[in-house]
Amino acid sequence: MGLKKLWLVIERDLRMFFQYKFLLIMRGIWFVAQVALFGLIVNKMVQAAAAEAGISYFQFYVAGVTIITLYSTAMFIGYDIFEEAEHGVFEYLLTLPVSRRELVLGRSIGGGLRSFIYVGPLLAVVLFILGVSNPFYLLVALAAMFLFAFGVSGMSITLAVAMKSGDKYDILIGVLDALIVRLSTTMYPTLYLQRAMPAYATVAEFNPLTYAADLFRWGTGVEGALQFSPLVGVFGLFIFFFAFTLVGVVFYERRLEGGNWE
Amino acid sequence: MKAILHVIEYDFRNFFRYRWFVIGLIAMNLADLFISAIVFTTMTSIVDYFQFFAPGLVVLGLFASAFMIGREINMEIRREIHHYMLSLPMTRTELAVGRVLAGGLRGMLYMTPLLITTFIVLHRFPTLPQLLLILLTLLLLAIGISGVSISIAVSTTSFEKFVTARGVVYYMLFFCSSVFYPISIIQVLATKGLGPLVTFAQVNPLTNGSDLIRSFLLDSPDYVFSPLMLLNVAVFCGIFAFFATFAYSKILQRH
Repeated sequence: MGLKKLWLVIERDLRMFFQYKFLLIMRGIWFVAQVALFGLIVNKMVQAAAAEAGISYFQFYVAGVTIITLYSTAMFIGYDIFEEAEHGVFEYLLTLPVSRRELVLGRSIGGGLRSFIYVGPLLAVVLFILGVSNPFYLLVALAAMFLFAFGVSGMSITLAVAMKSGDKYDILIGVLDALIVRLSTTMYPTLYLQRAMPAYATVAEFNPLTYAADLFRWGTGVEGALQFSPLVGVFGLFIFFFAFTLVGVVFYERRLEGGNWE
Repeated sequence: MKAILHVIEYDFRNFFRYRWFVIGLIAMNLADLFISAIVFTTMTSIVDYFQFFAPGLVVLGLFASAFMIGREINMEIRREIHHYMLSLPMTRTELAVGRVLAGGLRGMLYMTPLLITTFIVLHRFPTLPQLLLILLTLLLLAIGISGVSISIAVSTTSFEKFVTARGVVYYMLFFCSSVFYPISIIQVLATKGLGPLVTFAQVNPLTNGSDLIRSFLLDSPDYVFSPLMLLNVAVFCGIFAFFATFAYSKILQRH
């Protein structure tokens, strides 16, 4: 596998991403709305519960929404794939002197990297709001978030090429978003998921968003103690990353050709 | 009128073709009610959140389904199907009015089971005049939302832009409304220097739509029906239905 070719694929995806100025600005507004509106208002609504859990809900939510943003930005590579299929760019990509494996691996890494670059400035603002209690913990959390972003990007590519339909993909992403985000600790602590329905807490325990959000809170000191060992969290995200990158490569290679894109 | 009915029929047929999309929407709405609302109910003692949120969910579902028309129009523009639409033996205005109305009516069709679910989970049923008032308000709201969606669809050239703009409109309108939290809690924004957003939340048609349903279903002095609620939604409907009709019939010819 040629690293140079791999880098060319990654570079192309990064360049493509920064062409979407409209999208980037809109996503920024979306993030600010989440933090400044939903975060502040719900913080007021759940003050007593947050005090019982020993957290500031606003800080808890800000960390959670950073992970949601990372997730949704990494998911966007799937829309790129449909745009390319619609405009016939896919056929062009297949004619390039780059192997299928290099192409899909490059796209998966590019998708994760660009979402991380995009979240970078937002992350700086978030770290300014939350503060950093232990730089080493934060580095571990950031490494885990890298794995998470690459894994989500791989998942997005896998789903996109498995569906081959922009409509079905959009629907599935919506449903996944509804379930993955809501059945995770991005918006509420495990304690309350457990109280609401123990089954929800059980599902949340195996959710990559829970690992990423809790590790980020642990890294910034928003949550002093984790429900799981940080090693377990990082390992869980590594498995998520590895599984979807691997599955993504196999799927992409098998389904890339033959058209039938809707 | 016959031409408009043909357009509405065309859009309804399309709506039933996208059954997976509708199933997806239902899954999202139910996840909001049976996951997020239940968890937040355990977290707040200010309101019974589940009861509070159920009427908001009706507006949420109405918004998502009425917004679907924009997604289809955006797709038609990208795939140049709009040339065919423009070649049909009807005026641009008939075509545009038909599509705005179809978007709203489809929203009503989707919303009906959610409204019935709300009546059942709250164990409250409105009187006939109250029900008619709820349906009228929601119809006006749905037509207005359909108008917003069509305006965005004809102004954006790619699916990504449409999806992103949809997300931003969704979050701005919903977060600044009483769909997710009572208007009394939103007042907290005023203390953070965001006073105009409180005003926006008060005049937001989504606030008026969901509070109107609450005024008939919840036994709370915080929610009292006022004709201004209906007027507010009617003004929103009028502005965006007109704007969408104008934008659809004019901008479409430029593509």
